[in-house]
Amino acid sequence: MSTHGVGASVLRKEDDRYLRGRGEFVGDIQLAGTRHVAFLRSPVAHGYLRNASIPNECRQQVFVADDLAAVAPIRAHSTLPGFKSSDQPVLASGKVRHVGELIAMCVADTRAEAEDIVDAIGVEIEELPVLSDMLAAREAGAPLVHEEWGDNVFLTTDFEQDLDPIIARAAASVTRTIRTARQSMSPLEGRGVLARWDSRLEQLVVYTSTQQPHIVRTGLSECLGIEHARIRVVAPDVGGGFGYKGILLPEEICLAWAAIKLGHPLKWLEDRRENLIASSNCREHHYTITVYGDANGKLLAIDAEATVDAGAYSSYPFSACLEAAQVVSILPGVYDLEGYRCRTYAVATNKPPILPYRGVARCGVCTALELMVDALARELAIEPTEVRFQSLIGPEQMPFNNITSKHFDSGDYPESLRQVIDTIDLDSIRSRQQRGEADGRRIGIGFAMYTEQGAHGTTVYANWGIPMVPGHEQCTARLTPDGGLELRIGAHSHGQGLETTLAQVAHEVLGIPLEQTRLIHGDTAITPYSTGTWGSRSMVMSGGAVACACDELARRVLRIGANLLQCPVEAVRLKDGAVQGAAGSIQLAEISRTWYLKPQELDTEADPAGLEVTAGYKPEQDSGTFSYATHAAVIAVDPLTGEIELLDYVIAEDGGVLVNPMIVDGQILGGLAQGIGTALFEEMVYSTDGQPQASTLSEYLLPGPTEVPDAQIIHLETPSPYTRFGVKGIGEGGCIAPPAAITNAINDALRAIGVELSVLPVTPRRIVEAVAAASDSSLGKVTT
Amino acid sequence: MRPFEVTVNGRLHRAAVSPRTSLADFLRDDIGLTGTHLGCEHGICGACTVLINGQISRSCITYAVTCAGATVETIEGLDDDPLMGELRRTFSEEHALQCGYCTPGMLITARDVLSRHTDLTQAQIRREMSGNLCRCTGYRGIVRAIARVAAQPLVSGPQQNTVGLGPAPGPGACETRSTPEAIGTQGLATPSPTTPVPGGLPSGITVSVRDVRESDGWVTIEQVFTLPHPRTTVWPLLSDLEKTCAALPGIELDGPPVDGAVSGKASIKLGPIRPVFAFSGTYAVDDRSYSSTIEGVGTDRRSHSRAKARIQNRLFDLDEENTRVEVEIAYTIAGPLAQFGRSGFVRNLVGRLATTFAHNVNAALSGESGSAAALAQSQGWWKKWLAPLCRLIAAFNRRRPRQGD
Amino acid sequence: MKPVDFDYEQAKSVDEAITLLTQSADALILAGGQTLGPMLNLRLVQPELLVDITRIDELVRVEASTTHVTIGACVSHAAVEDRRIADLGHDFLARVAGGIGYRAVRNRGTLGGSVANADPAADWVSCFAALDAEILVSGQSGQRIVKIDDFLVGAMETTIGTGELINGIRMPRLGASVRCGYAKISRKPGEFADAIAAIVHDPDRGCCRVVVGATDGLPLLLDNDALGLGPAVALPAVLDPGPVRDHLAWHMPVPDLYRLNVQCAVLQRALADAHAFPS
Repeated sequence: MSTHGVGASVLRKEDDRYLRGRGEFVGDIQLAGTRHVAFLRSPVAHGYLRNASIPNECRQQVFVADDLAAVAPIRAHSTLPGFKSSDQPVLASGKVRHVGELIAMCVADTRAEAEDIVDAIGVEIEELPVLSDMLAAREAGAPLVHEEWGDNVFLTTDFEQDLDPIIARAAASVTRTIRTARQSMSPLEGRGVLARWDSRLEQLVVYTSTQQPHIVRTGLSECLGIEHARIRVVAPDVGGGFGYKGILLPEEICLAWAAIKLGHPLKWLEDRRENLIASSNCREHHYTITVYGDANGKLLAIDAEATVDAGAYSSYPFSACLEAAQVVSILPGVYDLEGYRCRTYAVATNKPPILPYRGVARCGVCTALELMVDALARELAIEPTEVRFQSLIGPEQMPFNNITSKHFDSGDYPESLRQVIDTIDLDSIRSRQQRGEADGRRIGIGFAMYTEQGAHGTTVYANWGIPMVPGHEQCTARLTPDGGLELRIGAHSHGQGLETTLAQVAHEVLGIPLEQTRLIHGDTAITPYSTGTWGSRSMVMSGGAVACACDELARRVLRIGANLLQCPVEAVRLKDGAVQGAAGSIQLAEISRTWYLKPQELDTEADPAGLEVTAGYKPEQDSGTFSYATHAAVIAVDPLTGEIELLDYVIAEDGGVLVNPMIVDGQILGGLAQGIGTALFEEMVYSTDGQPQASTLSEYLLPGPTEVPDAQIIHLETPSPYTRFGVKGIGEGGCIAPPAAITNAINDALRAIGVELSVLPVTPRRIVEAVAAASDSSLGKVTT
Repeated sequence: MRPFEVTVNGRLHRAAVSPRTSLADFLRDDIGLTGTHLGCEHGICGACTVLINGQISRSCITYAVTCAGATVETIEGLDDDPLMGELRRTFSEEHALQCGYCTPGMLITARDVLSRHTDLTQAQIRREMSGNLCRCTGYRGIVRAIARVAAQPLVSGPQQNTVGLGPAPGPGACETRSTPEAIGTQGLATPSPTTPVPGGLPSGITVSVRDVRESDGWVTIEQVFTLPHPRTTVWPLLSDLEKTCAALPGIELDGPPVDGAVSGKASIKLGPIRPVFAFSGTYAVDDRSYSSTIEGVGTDRRSHSRAKARIQNRLFDLDEENTRVEVEIAYTIAGPLAQFGRSGFVRNLVGRLATTFAHNVNAALSGESGSAAALAQSQGWWKKWLAPLCRLIAAFNRRRPRQGD
Repeated sequence: MKPVDFDYEQAKSVDEAITLLTQSADALILAGGQTLGPMLNLRLVQPELLVDITRIDELVRVEASTTHVTIGACVSHAAVEDRRIADLGHDFLARVAGGIGYRAVRNRGTLGGSVANADPAADWVSCFAALDAEILVSGQSGQRIVKIDDFLVGAMETTIGTGELINGIRMPRLGASVRCGYAKISRKPGEFADAIAAIVHDPDRGCCRVVVGATDGLPLLLDNDALGLGPAVALPAVLDPGPVRDHLAWHMPVPDLYRLNVQCAVLQRALADAHAFPS
């Protein structure tokens, strides 16, 4: 392993600008003549828009649906059978379907003045019955979010199997209802858009805080009816994404439209209230699930019904199918099952559209299944780890096609469990539980395992038939006359450290020092097309593309080098940033300089292709990489107050070959913090009339430094057999398992008093009420 | 626009801003120091943390004009600060940043923690950093980076500005000020004896809460009180909308009801929060059951919040001297005012209505000038009744079923 | 998320502040702005005028006599936390101050602002209730002194009138053998507390006040007799959970199990704190 190539924990190239406050985020970009936008948003969840009264003095500064009549609504269809499309109007027309939906765009010299105009507009809405609960929305006769559908179900998906023969020989079964909360991804920077019309190039330029600039460009092109060539999308520094910034927003379309119409730049920066109440919603699942096991604790079959609250609209590009359709395919988890039956519903409600949050579907699925594993273990009175050992797919079975035909590429799942058990010292925890705690608290330990399908390829997404199917990922690599290397990719780095890791990949191939390599990303004008950064794909896909492009550059450099060294190309090799032959060596910088500035020194047979290469990459098998991990949490819970303390947390993760282990650890730990939020804190509560009850960070609690423990991470390293360098996607895994591990630990702690929790987040109030319900020795009766 | 002077990163700026401009917006938009980031604009996330006269402060909820005469330092101004240099190094080495958005605020807070403490433990660092949120790193790198600097011999003590007792810059910072008096010599020379709050407990009317419930987004509060007046006296008042509304604080009618249709304004006051709902609705009286119902739908135009409310009074003859009044207030709110977790305060407020109403009705029947305006001056008595009500309503709010339960 | 347009004046004296407050129908006092700022930015509060009182010398004074300490309304939590002002006894105020919000909030948030906002979850509200503090209120007709119990009306409501402002808070000097305890339970540091308990047990002054706060209404002063507490008896190490629970439950007409549990727990923790902190 080189000290700067694949496998080295080099420090990040991008750190310095952030550490000096010199990052450039959308809000930091100032263009002369910019005016600011604020939006009038629906205060009610469901109703007919009747009338908007706009004061005459600001009529020219307000735009409503009629003004944008030529703009097409956002439509994210899926070709899955039975999928019902929704048209999401850019500005509401006719009907509003969730609190926070855009009604009018107001333009003024400052944001504050734009908000003044918002306040001056009167709007009449004839309210309709509100669907705030997905289960109620599924019922016959429920009010309709989209009248033309006849019901409120975007999509039903099934996996059918006759389970009766398996049930007949099952020794035990447990059935539970499990619910995860609606959450907000809450990147610290909200969305933001700065749009202008470049009259010289006759091109719309949109600076936007996105993970997927090329997809935003395609979406803008479709909605505005403008050819791609007239749109340039720039994603500058982006303050966290987590999936929220992978969505085409109606606000982006509004600003783009208005920048063309008005001829001056327009800026809108999403504020935290807008972020919480109107846009960044995700994750809400409900499961009714039964698992069957044999007497040894081997999981035999799962029978589940899952409902996903998809909100009012199908978002572009991932659509309302993504979450529920994935649930069907990944619920079996890391286990080798004989039987599986599952039906999922993606349900429309009067809440903001559900968007793909880090660990899309997998977090809810892992929570559901891993809680059931522990429930089965309690039923059988065996260690939950024993159920897992009995049921896991073994290393000898790899690669393994599971019951839903997921192709697990590699790994040793039982070994990750063993290592976690040893590190966290399960036996000592059990002894400590026997002894009891002096302070009256109870100790519990919980495990959870998952696989993280990453870098989903063409075959996976083609099946879903959504507007975006990833193909080959591309990189343009260019040697500059001074011997530097420019890498251009269409994906985007917003915390993942791609400016460093992709330079490491290039170094691995070309030997160019990291400081001489520059990553250029986030600008559709100068990068190859890409679906962007999502689904734990960038290290696999962009990393592969960088390697391929550098391979080709290496071939060209060798030819030029051989030419200059006057020897056959077979006689030279690339080493330490130089072409070396028997008679001497020549630095890449010299080769570059010669190609660009001193071509007279090349002989006439020089390859005319030059030192700029665009190459595409796809793994040999594109069904995705499957990193995996075991998480274990040790907690102390106070049954009186419901307070939880995380005493220990251990993760054994296999992400294949790690390009930069320091960055991988950072991804895992950041994911862990978000998973702790999911487990214990984060909840977008909606009232029955669809009013969001968290519009500030005082109500929507994000984990801070005191809520996240100093976790231990163990790395297994089973290279992917299909990807360049054997890397696997790991960006989302950290957040998938913590809710299950922590909830299992709480349930382990409270098992002796008959308490089992299955609603996330596990708040002190929920714990206290569950303890009371179980012991029935509380003051009065807690109704509700 | 208001002219003011402030020194930022050592440079004096003479500028003019609207008073509503936050310090953060001034720094970012007016003088181009975009290293200060906005994450929440309500003082929770810490991304906007800067130094005002050496004290870490949230620049999103500090208005620029309040910093007249102050010295402000941002991340850009700490480029050459030795302690910040060490933090930058360890932050990078411990991978304490990913997207970089929280980083400037995180660093400024970390530097402040290091300057105020020695022998920091990891637990202390976590606690001290709890006002700065990071969504990317999981904090381990941040805590380790700070701990490493804490373990070093102090690079160079950050300059300590003169610290007053109040929020910086405090008295004396503004050049236009007159010479300050010596501290401690002004103030309360001889405090007057405790003045009892005007007003007293009227006629011992007890308002009790019978029920608080919620369904379909409506909160319903049923309250009961007994008036020491016969029903024949009470009913003429409570079957007259204008008299009824005169007894309800904050309700102002546009005029008498026309064919049962009414309109007016309902002014609500919850501390400094003062929405005014312009409402229209109906008024119905049923002489047989001695009941009257006002129903209305209103909008607070400025916040775009909407409320629907129903107030129902029903009289029962207790004996020749006394009438029992049942008041049922039901309401639902939509829009920004409804979108807070602490909506118990709104319930609390609505619950007070009946208490005030009871007092006003009684006063009117007793021939006192018990107008709502007079009542507003005499809140002392009603807190005795309010306290249990507050507790009840608060308790109700807390046990309110949340979706997902 | 920007406030409505408002005027702004820096008052140089209490009298000037009062005059400014009475000149506008919709004027609000701005001190540290740590509560008002968020409400302004969210447009929950839409004033015409903000009167900044942080430049008034009188309001950042500390007057310490042998019997009382009076702290100006604009003294910050951080000044108390840093022990830049006189101690009442048992380091009580500094210990409470250090747990308020976050340091950046403590640097600007003020004692007077905290009491004026009367958020039931505010630390000073419960602390001052336990201290039986007096609020000095300045108005057009001079000054009045109101006991904290009479000052607070309910959540976000006080008896302060139009054109009045809090001048300072007057607290008794505590006796040599005083024990003060404070505890709160909140989901996260700096978050609104779910329960608060504040205890001042001061035999020398014949005072024992035990307060449970963060009730969403008024701080609850516990009945000493019902719980066997009092200045004449030593402060117990723990309270008998049964009577405490009954007592707290009695003040909670609708059962709220979680709130009751955390109130019981926080009370015991405050007791432990009172004993743990060296005299």
